[in-house]
Amino acid sequence: MRPDIESAARESLSAVLDPEVAPDALDLDADMAGTYGLTSLNKVLFLTEVCEATDVDLANFTEHDLAEMRTLRSVAESLSRLTKKVA
Amino acid sequence: MTGHSFLQHIVSTPPLGGRISVSRLDGTESLGLPELYERARRLARRLRARGIGPGDRIGILAANSLEWVLLDLAALLLKAETAGLEPGKFAPSAELMARYGITLLFTDQPTDAPGAVPIGEVRALAEDPEGPEEDTALPAVHWAPRDVTTIKFTSGSTGTPKGLGATVGSIDSSLAAVQEIFEHKPGDDLFVFLPLSLLQQRYWVYSALVHGHDVTISTYEAAFAALRRVKPTVVMGVPAFYETAKRQVEARLRRSGGTATVQEAARHLFGDRIRYLWTGSAPADAAMLRFFHDAGLPIYEGYGLNETCIVTKNHPGAHRAGSVGKVLRGKEVLVDADGTIRVRSDHPVNYRYAYAEPGASERMFAPDGTVRTGDLGHLDEDGFLFIRGRADDVIVLDNGKKIVVRPIEEHMRTSPAIAECVLFCPAQTDLVAVVSPAAVPADPDAIAAQLALTNAARTADERISRVVIADAPFSIDNGLLTSQYKPKRKQILATYHDAVHDSKEGIHAA
Repeated sequence: MRPDIESAARESLSAVLDPEVAPDALDLDADMAGTYGLTSLNKVLFLTEVCEATDVDLANFTEHDLAEMRTLRSVAESLSRLTKKVA
Repeated sequence: MTGHSFLQHIVSTPPLGGRISVSRLDGTESLGLPELYERARRLARRLRARGIGPGDRIGILAANSLEWVLLDLAALLLKAETAGLEPGKFAPSAELMARYGITLLFTDQPTDAPGAVPIGEVRALAEDPEGPEEDTALPAVHWAPRDVTTIKFTSGSTGTPKGLGATVGSIDSSLAAVQEIFEHKPGDDLFVFLPLSLLQQRYWVYSALVHGHDVTISTYEAAFAALRRVKPTVVMGVPAFYETAKRQVEARLRRSGGTATVQEAARHLFGDRIRYLWTGSAPADAAMLRFFHDAGLPIYEGYGLNETCIVTKNHPGAHRAGSVGKVLRGKEVLVDADGTIRVRSDHPVNYRYAYAEPGASERMFAPDGTVRTGDLGHLDEDGFLFIRGRADDVIVLDNGKKIVVRPIEEHMRTSPAIAECVLFCPAQTDLVAVVSPAAVPADPDAIAAQLALTNAARTADERISRVVIADAPFSIDNGLLTSQYKPKRKQILATYHDAVHDSKEGIHAA
């Protein structure tokens, strides 16, 4: 997992949480819905933001992929893989 | 309305222009409305070959999709009725089909119920060229004002959803009134992401077919991803959606470190073509509405029930903050002496439910043709309607004082730690709140601080004595929110009955 992508993922998740949780305080392996109350609407918003920040095309993901990404680590790892492909 | 019928126009006149797009997370599919219309006619012919005709009922239980739109149009072309069944609220089964008199049920969910058809098959039925053996005739149909095109189901705060047949006259009347105040036209693209099972969301497809503008269909979950790609001119939303958008715009502003303006941050989320944002279905927070107006995205709140269709609406030509707008053409608002609102329509949605428990129709539909909304409000001197709360939401204390709970609940919700607040009166003059936290774990200190703030702003009788924090946020999945994101009071009280009635439970007011 690339550190810059992890950092972008932390920033973007932090921005959609209400109340906000600081990027550094986010647990990479916590269930985002259960632990941070991330709704399905906010999950897409988070992914849209982080894809933009990392220059990954959101169209790489299906609704099914999205449902499978339950932790911040799984999001960051998926993005890292796609960034490698693009590179 | 008299004379011209939008629905009759749709079934008798192919559209000349405009496009429909269906936007999912992984991409957008787009086609011209004339092509959509041709596919719907082909689908209608093939459904007719399966025996579907005037008076038959087609059930659609699926997420938003092009197939959903095609089925709805095909049903109109055949003068068949639809039943729009919201996923999550209904499951496909033979029992469901028997209960609602459904001949064919199209669904994206697995089922082996006889008469159920995978909605994926609609593509081939609508697109595959017809063979020489197929009948390509499609008899003309005539929709009269009292005919019912669809059964719509109330989201309902209690029990089984009620089914209501929507008449052609009511749909025509609403489409005409909305067009009069918003003037949708070629160049507009209306963005729809709420379930198409809600009839009002299909209005925007009908509007596109009649007025030649574009329409984009998405899903609630994919909405924010689609918005950026589509850059619509109008977004058809609900308060919960705009609250999320507001938080995101604010977060972008914070992260920009003062280099971005609120207008730029809002355009980043919604695109740079927004003409206006539509909100309805639930009361909108005044601060949220002000935020978007200030951000250069006019947002217009309205008022209506399933049983009345759209009654009032703010719009560019008549807008007053705090109100839900002026009464639309074809509607009349009557405010009784006790402040409760009744609505009279030139073309009522209907005069009774098609499916409901005994007595429900009589409670909602008065013999004089008016609908008893159960809401409290008043009209100002210029005809703007202000909603104060639900008559059901008035708690009468033991001391005889009547408390309208909504303003107190709204005050509690101004805390970022509180998503929802519902008040109950378990004993005498004791007001107890059940709070749905905005995040998990809940922030009891912030909730206690808000309790103190709210109580400081109210009179003695209106103060909350205790707050019970819900174990998990209210949601549609846990049955504590309606599909329109309104709290279900009875279910919430049933879930937290013990804590509400135990004076030792919860956070106590200082």
